Amino acid sequence: MKRFETDAIVIGAGATGTGTLRDLALRGIPAILVEKNDVTSGTSGRNHGLLHSGARYAVKDLESARECIKENRILKKIARHCIEDAGGVFITLPDDDPEYHYMLLEHCGYAGIGAKEISIKEALELEPNLNPHILSAIRVPDGIIDPFRLAAANILDARERGARVLTHTEVVDIIREGQAVKGIRCHDRLSGEDIEIYGSVIVNASGVWGQRICELAGIELKMFPSKGSMVIIDYRINNVVVNRCRMPSDGDIIVPGDTVSIIGTTSKRIEYSQIDETTVDEDEIDILLGDGEKLIPNVSKTRVLRAYCGVRPLVDVSGESDGREISRGIVLIDHEERDDLGGFITIAGGKLMTYRLMAEMATDLVCNKLKIKKRCTTHRVPLPGSEKSSSAKKRIKQFTGISRSVVGSTFYRHGERVFSILKREEKNYGLICECEMVTAGEIEYALKNLHVKDLVDLRRRTRVGMGPCQGELCAYRAAGLFVEFGSALPEEVNRMFIDFLEERWKGIKPILWGDSLRESEFTYWIYQGLFGLGDLKRAHEESDE
Amino acid sequence: MKYDSFIIGGGLSGLTCGIKCLREGLSCAIISSGMSALHFSSGSIDLLGYYPDRSVVYKPIDYLADFIQENVEHPYSRCGVDQVKEAFDFVQEELRFEDLDLFCNGDDNHFHVTAMGTLKPTYLSQRSVFNERIKEAFKKRTRIAILNFKGFRDFYPDLAIAILRKNPLFSSFEIQSDTIELPVFSKTGRNPHEFRSIDIARIFDSEKYLQKIAHRIKKAAGDAAFVGLPAFIGITNYNRIHKRLEELTGTLIYEVPTLPPSILGMRIDNALKSRFASLGGVFIGGDRVLSGEIQGDKIDRIHTSNYHDPGFSAEYYVLSSGSFFSGGLASEFDRLREPIFDLKVYGTREREEWYASDFFNRESHPFLEFGVLTNKDLHPYSQKGDIIENLFCTGAILSNYNPVKEGSGGGVALSTGYSAAKRILERLNRR
Repeated sequence: MKRFETDAIVIGAGATGTGTLRDLALRGIPAILVEKNDVTSGTSGRNHGLLHSGARYAVKDLESARECIKENRILKKIARHCIEDAGGVFITLPDDDPEYHYMLLEHCGYAGIGAKEISIKEALELEPNLNPHILSAIRVPDGIIDPFRLAAANILDARERGARVLTHTEVVDIIREGQAVKGIRCHDRLSGEDIEIYGSVIVNASGVWGQRICELAGIELKMFPSKGSMVIIDYRINNVVVNRCRMPSDGDIIVPGDTVSIIGTTSKRIEYSQIDETTVDEDEIDILLGDGEKLIPNVSKTRVLRAYCGVRPLVDVSGESDGREISRGIVLIDHEERDDLGGFITIAGGKLMTYRLMAEMATDLVCNKLKIKKRCTTHRVPLPGSEKSSSAKKRIKQFTGISRSVVGSTFYRHGERVFSILKREEKNYGLICECEMVTAGEIEYALKNLHVKDLVDLRRRTRVGMGPCQGELCAYRAAGLFVEFGSALPEEVNRMFIDFLEERWKGIKPILWGDSLRESEFTYWIYQGLFGLGDLKRAHEESDE
Repeated sequence: MKYDSFIIGGGLSGLTCGIKCLREGLSCAIISSGMSALHFSSGSIDLLGYYPDRSVVYKPIDYLADFIQENVEHPYSRCGVDQVKEAFDFVQEELRFEDLDLFCNGDDNHFHVTAMGTLKPTYLSQRSVFNERIKEAFKKRTRIAILNFKGFRDFYPDLAIAILRKNPLFSSFEIQSDTIELPVFSKTGRNPHEFRSIDIARIFDSEKYLQKIAHRIKKAAGDAAFVGLPAFIGITNYNRIHKRLEELTGTLIYEVPTLPPSILGMRIDNALKSRFASLGGVFIGGDRVLSGEIQGDKIDRIHTSNYHDPGFSAEYYVLSSGSFFSGGLASEFDRLREPIFDLKVYGTREREEWYASDFFNRESHPFLEFGVLTNKDLHPYSQKGDIIENLFCTGAILSNYNPVKEGSGGGVALSTGYSAAKRILERLNRR
């Protein structure tokens, strides 16, 4: 059995967990992060990637709105390469209550969000694809944030500062000694190895899964999971974030990002037992496409690429299990105070937008417990890749001889780390994924630096297989590179190759019509007809039995 | 001009039909909107590869009679055993005119190695993919070398070798991978990492670097019983290149089909098109049929993008426009349709029933069996349920078969294409 000792243990590699690990590392506190799957494989990687201005919350929840705009400004400085300062609009449709427009302007004023009314003509110039029948429009400082990049950059920085990360490692037990925690027992799901990690403080940052972690510690924390589904539209049909000007509801936002646009979101309460097996329902697709079309009529003419869903971790803070007092805000629990369990902290609730603040709050409490006096610096120390305020144009000029779109995409994804990726070796320029312009060099960099264990992890770090073809050709190429760069044995790669295609299929199934069906037929012909991967899958299943 | 037959779709099915029509002295035109499925095929032609339980069919001709009895709606049932055999012989014969000699293992299937190291049963293969000399190699039982060219990103021998090593058939071989450098790149200043199969196939066609390449293959392969290479040793000059490479290296060389574009498929495509042209067929490339005028139970005229008016007119029409991928079938949110003539289509409206829960499901996906419904004579139905007397449907647009699951795609394409031509001839002779 492997054994580690450290000061702080963080559970969960979502935005909050990775942010906490980085904060700990910046404050010089030795820490280990444990994640049962991959970085951002849970809720953090399953949202629409809106960099909130706070306007969506302004009318309903002024406190959240204030948190959002504050963090919005910080993230634009420290996480430049994870963010696109695209701007956003709120539009009032003929069916909507025109009063909300004025309420929104007023409340944005209270929250300090720079919201400004613009004319319909200006709105249509800003976003030509908008529904031309809108009644009014407001400009807000919304933006786009890439959660995969954000968490990967937090991990990268933390590791470069000495922190340790164990992904695909599941916590199976919390080690207690009397009224205090001493560490955790975990299971490495890839190697099958058991691991013990000792540390005096544990931060439970596992989001909706936090209820289970608390159970392992012998205490109760009630979560009320709510499923949110989204669909991805092929091609970026809007430049700015388009919000519907009404109380937040289903299908009222379209967020552009990378090469696609995302229509969000539904909200469905689900049983806690279902959190690991959520799927998008057909009626959700109907709602999202129907309402999406009202914002941007082009939606109905554009190919739908994929559907996916995440689970919002709403926490019951009343302590009673009837769910009357569910908080949508940040919940920091010192279990020593609440449950008389020393060294155990839960940080939950909140939003992707407030991950840094949540990490700061959790780390402050860790410092308090460890009696360390170190101040938080995450609001001013930029993440790796965001050190300089540069532009893609400038970087493209610096890499003569490499295709502009390759340099542009690499810079877009990795910021200043573009210099570590596009070294002047020919092999670095070979394109592996044509949809997203991912080169062999970028994959090598990700395999060696970004804590990648399988092809699905690689997709989260580089966008391989995320474009229109959904991995049709690049899945095989990327699988080959795993072997070439010595990251896995061929037998292992053959398994992850099949897993990757099965994972892609999950998001394609709900939207399998039109061009998606054509593309899937092609992919099936190649990987079953030409390669016989299904036979291989069955051989694996038999040998596992 | 009024053609005897007008074929919509220039893939394996349409071309087989066209060549047969021309051979029987009919006038014939083919309209094609782009590259056919041959461009991403294995380049081998399957007849029947798998039983319904996924076990391998070794004797497809023997199985065919039973298969037809058990699957009365299957396209093969529209042709019958004899016509399927005839069609295979016909295509082999016609390709020989173009110097493309396909290997056939008597009435039995043979196996070709896929890029993943699995073995796939098939009926006809190009001689650079499979031939009788493999027996010599298997007697030697020494080494197999699977080589790739440095920088080529569409083939990874190590992944295939991991699977091959587990195969009892190869247990006495030592299987190795290696990479060799193509000489041309250093001179042209082009980056080999940006090359696809077609770029490399062109280099082979030129023969300029053949000696050098052969030398490098020999050095990497050593005393290997045979060598596997990704399939790109020439698009036009492949027979000669393959022969020369074997002479120069003194070893057997086999091509392994890999990611599209499929050089092996392109060779068949080129050969069929060339044969069609040399027999006097009219090939209208880069055009698309938009609609057809139906008068009573017949198509009177069709309109295309480039020749909208007056369009084209023929005695008989053949619809070989492929499945969803090729655009022969279309699917929308809540319905399936055939886009040119709005023919009756087999398939449910319930989208949840179009697919299987996992991608590599044992039973494959229902949508692969969707397609146009026809009567026994390959005539489709209008939405009203009337038979269209002068229209035949062939190939992947047809319903009630799963080309991937059965290993029958190529066979159905050419058999139904051939069968449609025979029927057209019969009708014209009857007049």
